Amino acid sequence: MPSVSKRRASGQAYWRSLDELSRKTHFGDALGDEFLGGVMESMNALERRHFLKIMGASLAFAGLAGCRRWPEEKIVPYSRRPAGRTPGTPVQYATGMELGGLGLGLLVTSVDGRPIKVEGNPEHPSSLGASGPFAQAAILDLYDPDRARQGRHGRTEASWDDFDTWLGANLETISADGGAGLRVLCEATSSPSMLAMRERLQRTFPSMVWHEYESVSDDNERIGTRMAFGRPLLANMDLSQSRVIVSLGADFLDRPITSLGCIRGFADSRRLDGAHPEMSRLYAFEGMLSLTGANADHRVTVRPSDITTLAARLAMGVLPEPPVSVRTLAARSIDSSLSEEDLGRILAMVISDLQTHRGRGVIAAGLTQPPEVHLLAHLMNAAIGAVGNTVTYVPVPDHKGHVHSLTSLVGAMGEGNVETLVIIGGNPVYDAPTDLHFADTLRNVGRTIRLSEYDDETAAQCSWFLPRAHLLEAWGDVRANDGTITVCQPLIQPLFDGRSAIELLAALSKDEPRSGEQIVQRTFADTTEERFSEASWHQALHDGVVPQSASTVKRPSVDLADAERHLGRFVDARGSAAASDTELLFVADSKLYDGRFANNGWQQELPDPLTKLTWDNALLLGIGRAKELGVDTGDVVSVQVDGRSLELPVLLMPGQHDKCAVVALGYGRRFKGRVCAGAGTDGGALRTTGSFFTARGVQITRTGKSYPLAVTQDHHAIDVRGVAGKGQQDRLGAIFREASLDEFREHPDFAAHRTHVLHQLSPYSEDNLKGAEHRWAMSIDLGACVGCNGCVAACHAENNIPIVGKDQVLRGREMHWIRVDRYFSFARDDNGYDPTQLQSVALQPMPCQMCENAPCETVCPVGATMHDADGLNVMVYNRCVGTRYCSNNCPYKVRRFNFYDYWKRKPHREQPGKLLQVEREYYERPQAGADELRQMQFNPEVSVRMRGVMEKCTFCTQRIEAAKIKTKNQWVQDGGNEQGTPPTIADGTIRTACEEACPARAITFGDLNDPNSRVAQLHEDQRSYSVLEELNPKTRVKYLAKVRNPIESGGHDHPIRHGDT
Amino acid sequence: MEATPIDNTFEDPGQRAPLVLNHNDFTSVTTDICRASESPRPPRAWYIAFAISAALASLFFLLIFYLFITGVGIWGNHSPTMWGFPIVNFVFWIGIGHAGTLISAILFLFRQKWRTAINRFAEAMTIFAVVCAGTFPVIHVGRVWVVYWLFPIPNQMELWPQFRSPLLWDVFAVSTYFTVSLLFWYVGMIPDLATFRDRAATKTRAIIYGLLALGWTGSNRHWHRYERAYLLLAALATPLVLSVHSVVSFDFAVAQLPGWHSTIFPPYFVAGAIFGGFAMVVTLAVPSRQLWGLKDFITMRHLENMNKIILLTGSIVGYAYVSEFFIAWYSGATYEGFAFINRAFGQHAWAYWLMLFCNVVAPQLFWFKRFRRSIPVMYFVVMCVNVGMWFERFVIVISLEQDFLPSSWGYFAPTWVDLMMLVGSMGLFLMLFLLFIRYLPVIAMAELKAVMPQADPHTSGEHDTPAGQNREVV
Repeated sequence: MPSVSKRRASGQAYWRSLDELSRKTHFGDALGDEFLGGVMESMNALERRHFLKIMGASLAFAGLAGCRRWPEEKIVPYSRRPAGRTPGTPVQYATGMELGGLGLGLLVTSVDGRPIKVEGNPEHPSSLGASGPFAQAAILDLYDPDRARQGRHGRTEASWDDFDTWLGANLETISADGGAGLRVLCEATSSPSMLAMRERLQRTFPSMVWHEYESVSDDNERIGTRMAFGRPLLANMDLSQSRVIVSLGADFLDRPITSLGCIRGFADSRRLDGAHPEMSRLYAFEGMLSLTGANADHRVTVRPSDITTLAARLAMGVLPEPPVSVRTLAARSIDSSLSEEDLGRILAMVISDLQTHRGRGVIAAGLTQPPEVHLLAHLMNAAIGAVGNTVTYVPVPDHKGHVHSLTSLVGAMGEGNVETLVIIGGNPVYDAPTDLHFADTLRNVGRTIRLSEYDDETAAQCSWFLPRAHLLEAWGDVRANDGTITVCQPLIQPLFDGRSAIELLAALSKDEPRSGEQIVQRTFADTTEERFSEASWHQALHDGVVPQSASTVKRPSVDLADAERHLGRFVDARGSAAASDTELLFVADSKLYDGRFANNGWQQELPDPLTKLTWDNALLLGIGRAKELGVDTGDVVSVQVDGRSLELPVLLMPGQHDKCAVVALGYGRRFKGRVCAGAGTDGGALRTTGSFFTARGVQITRTGKSYPLAVTQDHHAIDVRGVAGKGQQDRLGAIFREASLDEFREHPDFAAHRTHVLHQLSPYSEDNLKGAEHRWAMSIDLGACVGCNGCVAACHAENNIPIVGKDQVLRGREMHWIRVDRYFSFARDDNGYDPTQLQSVALQPMPCQMCENAPCETVCPVGATMHDADGLNVMVYNRCVGTRYCSNNCPYKVRRFNFYDYWKRKPHREQPGKLLQVEREYYERPQAGADELRQMQFNPEVSVRMRGVMEKCTFCTQRIEAAKIKTKNQWVQDGGNEQGTPPTIADGTIRTACEEACPARAITFGDLNDPNSRVAQLHEDQRSYSVLEELNPKTRVKYLAKVRNPIESGGHDHPIRHGDT
Repeated sequence: MEATPIDNTFEDPGQRAPLVLNHNDFTSVTTDICRASESPRPPRAWYIAFAISAALASLFFLLIFYLFITGVGIWGNHSPTMWGFPIVNFVFWIGIGHAGTLISAILFLFRQKWRTAINRFAEAMTIFAVVCAGTFPVIHVGRVWVVYWLFPIPNQMELWPQFRSPLLWDVFAVSTYFTVSLLFWYVGMIPDLATFRDRAATKTRAIIYGLLALGWTGSNRHWHRYERAYLLLAALATPLVLSVHSVVSFDFAVAQLPGWHSTIFPPYFVAGAIFGGFAMVVTLAVPSRQLWGLKDFITMRHLENMNKIILLTGSIVGYAYVSEFFIAWYSGATYEGFAFINRAFGQHAWAYWLMLFCNVVAPQLFWFKRFRRSIPVMYFVVMCVNVGMWFERFVIVISLEQDFLPSSWGYFAPTWVDLMMLVGSMGLFLMLFLLFIRYLPVIAMAELKAVMPQADPHTSGEHDTPAGQNREVV
């Protein structure tokens, strides 16, 4: 028996089962594939090697792979150092992203081949250096462990090569009859290369039909401009030039791409510089409380459908010769928070304001408003001379609208006319209107090809699934809202073998070249024509914008007759809404957009700017309506529309019309991502093609159930009749200081008089910070800040802030280093404050105040928090024992504690594991599986904090140090020495992450030791105040008090309260 | 010997009430007190109580293990309520510990002879309460493996603790308190341990108690040294009674939080601690005297005396509550004023009113002698006080919920771990106490004998019967 002796040679052999002994085949198979299905297989040895190959020798992913107490270091050294690269030195590359068909220029910081942080590109017209939460989120999406790692054909795994082979075999069939059976369903895009590839595809398959669908659609805007100007245009507002802004349900301060420019313009129009301060005035008419409404000087709550009537009434006053239909429309009644008389008065004010400031007014209509409201807005804008001044127009490709396009596709699919369907991006199975039954109809299509980053709801219904390259992995180009082109370059090789949409289209159209880079370069050459050269290409890549690519239509003319026809038809088609009718608005979520960011933990954990809700959506209801229904925040109601019903938790929202309910889209994804699974409810289940933007005739009934909603600010905000709510209202005037413009002109130093601060006579010498080289400080302009969350998102990304999960947010353990405090200010009546009378909304960013007399420092028993040489209040993680006393004594509660090893704990929705609050992996060694991917995202300049330590805002100390080192190196090179002048850091060199991201430029960071620095001057500003200065903490963060610009009516109570009330 | 019930709570101006009842002589005192330890099997009730408390103590240790491997997130603590149950429990247990020192040190210096029957187990209670108390701040920190950084240990990093922090003062105060209390307890126990040794029926007992007795022979010189040492320790321990809880109160008073930042805290905390401590002594004394048949030594008069102290300190605490409100209003400080209105009418108002009832209203029953002497009423009141004093600390710590900026206000809700750790610490406390009453002299025999009439050689003829029975003759 030779086999036995062989075994002997290597020691005793053991069989794992009798089957192995008998070498039954299926046992062996099962052995090799122990973890069938699921994610476990995704990081097997082969892939890891592949992964390393991709990352190249430059990947040194160690230092960040911290473990429990002692970091385990794995260092992959360079065998050959690439030219021009210093390991560990961050490099920025310009690229771009696209959302809803609009592009945004980005600067992406890359460290050793890993993109780790996104900033806005200052050269880019939409960004101007700012970035919103969506841009920040791109980084986390790149490293999302739930991204598809493998293509799929049917149920079997397939690579792109397999697809190419399949395509080769089937292209004949697909192209039959000029591709008559071929349809492409694509997300909205204005990318020149995509459009070029679409044209080429169309040339290859002349009968092919291209469809475009977006769940958060700009249909109304597009149709509205077509009605007004005879062709679809994109309206861009330049708010910086405006003096009067009127919002007709428009939330231009909370839209993914365009809001950045709007916020910048809005803030600039309200900056109080010079001897005779002027600022713009914003009127908002809206049903829900939007961020725009929260920033308005006058806000009127109007039932959404009545905004049409309101627009008509405005038009009556603004248009020189209002058409008959406008007159008819204006005669209808308006259900608003004001009496008919008061409403008339405020409309008269708006009209006179618009006429006084001819050419400097602007009227904006909301996405959910019907095209006719947009039409009226354009007519009025033309009448007040806004067109060409405060509103400019850019041509956009024409189509009949997203809903129409999808409806016609579904119709064709139902009739069996579609043989091959290519779905690029989007997620129609999840977000198509329910009455289309998209998923069911999709089964009629023989060949479905899906290109997406995730094997999501739509992919699950498709025969081919192909992994898409992330925007930071692919070549591409995007167009900004003014037409400026940005060439997007990849920052990293595709992590999971993804390809971009243009590459797929190239393969489909059998077009050469196939590589994204060459396609984009070709488009670039075609668009720049004679200006194209190798140098111009590199310059465009370097700058992130293609010069002279912006396109603007100067003063398009309004076709009044046509407008009258459209309005007349509208008036005939729709009678006045029933007085009792409740309306449900479907709005884009401020964090998840249409659901595409649902698996992004940063976005899920980012508190909504106004509701402060995380990890869920809810049915927003007005206070009066909720009272009528007998529900409170967290109670579940059933919402019925046209026989469809959906259960949603309620969240009370002050300032919302009682006949208006709001649900944010993007939640309730059926895709089982680590983050998005279970998050919220899909409001789209109530959405049909007919009620795509607003559903009418909504019935709401209570169910008696309840659902925990993780809000980061509690409900005392609304419960103002209670002790806590009253206490909050009472102190608001001192915390958030504001005045009207008139009051400010009279008392420019009003902020100093909102509280009574005793003269500080300290028995101690408080000069321990004298002689410091720098005195870093920050100024936050509450007048500029609109509360967009950009700072919170940027801070999250910069500082390796962990995602804690819904269960932890419910416990109040969110980790944001900077938060935006939101306070509702209510009117006061005889019984105290009235929660149904929202007066104003206060939004106040709150980072660590960097107190010089820091209360946190004196109570730490181990001195883990103290002042450094520059007077920064720093947190020494290594020294922290975790008594949490510092947080107790921090009056601003800006300190965050690691209750768990959050960096390795999975974000949970509910308390996991019944009794025990973490799962098994928590106790195991962390360097496995998906975590490796997550660690790539970490900023290597910032420590990853372990459990049991306190953390807080550092003023981005890593950025300060980097600037110091750079300056000092330069100084040495320039011949500086210790005897001569010390190195100086120029003002503005160091920008904190929040400052850099802020579209309003509300945050200014600098050195108080430099009397000419912006921050030193802002600290001396008359509006400057320090929150809770009565405690004498001597904060280094100071706020510039907010000035609103309401029309003052003499003797009338103005909404500003004084600190001593 | 007849078991005639004798009322030593009756005040006879002519003479001092007897502290030991029922014809006890030196021998019977020794026998009765040693019986608890020497009987081969303790009563069944002891076994049941021990099983329950040991199970709870085990749960406590299991939960500490779970805590160490997982993180402090298993508790309900959050921002802004960064301190929750652990600190409440810490202050609660530390307060319990105060009665022991007060009885052993201050009452000793004031020559309050009635203390002799209760001082031993009041001191034992102190030690065990401080053990429970000391556990909480240690396990409370985020990184327990570096908790030793709180001690000023010379190290290669040349880093010292931060001496301005009240938490550091706590470390010194509590560790000093524990050391002195332990020494005091042990030194006081030496003569009685020698008695145990001398009466030992088994070799094991003889060896163990022999070691513990430190070679005590009862010689004059031993007694002399012993009395000196005891007096000195009493003098050392006396300031501690005031200092420890004052320092603990600084944890709150030194912070600038509304509801914490108050100069009344040190005296208010000390009074509260004595209040809660005495309540716990009564809580333990009542069943123990029943269980071991010690009613002759821990008499109704002892209990009544303690109830009087409870009434006094409870009223001081009540005064402090009122005074806090007054100052909050009188200061005109917005945040301070709100903190107190919110305490009484805010989200945790129930805890405040429960505390007020337990600590201020319930002890008022002790104005009546009938209630002071009724075991059921007494037990009801002391249980109220135990609950009330826990809630007092809860109410104080919970002030964190709503401080300056309303945006960060929160609502504290404990987790099951919080509740089980509180119960578990009680289990640990009771388990240690049950071990103590089984294996160590529950009553200071030597001291007790000194306050018996027989200890006075001049009056042997006149007073060979206890004073209480004399009264019947008169």
